[in-house]
Amino acid sequence: MTFAWKAAGLTYNRYLAVAARVVRRSLKEEKRIVAERRGQQELRFAKWSNGKQGEIQNLAAANAQAAVESAATGGH
Amino acid sequence: MNSLRIARAALRARPAALRAPLQRRAYAEAVSDKIKLSLSLPHQSIYKSHDAVQVNIPAESGEMGVLANHVPSIEQLKPGVVEIIEEGGSSKRFFLSGGFAVVQPKSALSINAVEGYPLDDFSPDAVRAQIAEAQKVVNGGGSEQDIAEAKIELEVLESLQAHLK
Repeated sequence: MTFAWKAAGLTYNRYLAVAARVVRRSLKEEKRIVAERRGQQELRFAKWSNGKQGEIQNLAAANAQAAVESAATGGH
Repeated sequence: MNSLRIARAALRARPAALRAPLQRRAYAEAVSDKIKLSLSLPHQSIYKSHDAVQVNIPAESGEMGVLANHVPSIEQLKPGVVEIIEEGGSSKRFFLSGGFAVVQPKSALSINAVEGYPLDDFSPDAVRAQIAEAQKVVNGGGSEQDIAEAKIELEVLESLQAHLK
């Protein structure tokens, strides 16, 4: 049983993140403000090879790009 | 000589075996009736080894109820409501955004989710507004990933809306 989002290239992690984001936005005012902070992520990384640091990328952007690529190659 | 030792041990063991069950059986039944539920989110532990009589979980394979002494299993959860029925009949309901439920031997049930709130914490207006927006994205011409994400959102929102009625 393949999920629709898997075929589109999304990972399970991304699926959980999207579902959590929706739940947070559906809350009543005060709880929502506290919860929205949990959804923010600002994480950067760089690949190292041969002792040299590669280009610094934003994790969210890199994941989005990987999703597009894995959907193009048929997704698995 | 070995057989003598075994015979003696058997004679010693038997009286004890005859005595114990009468006391032990009553105690064992009283304790094993309940589930030890742990409901955790990454940022908060809603229940830690809490006693419950029955827990209803929204598994991907269908709604299921877990009672004490359930066979060990791992179930992926779809976004939905977990209902915890305690001794005395009172029940609490939480809407979870998705995760896993693991039943371990000795009636230990562990539910992990990313977000989970009591139904009273949700705003039906916010849900309605988000459904409208998500439907616009699904019918629009965005990227495949945007549409897939909007479909996930719709699945969660429709489940939430149904439970809020």
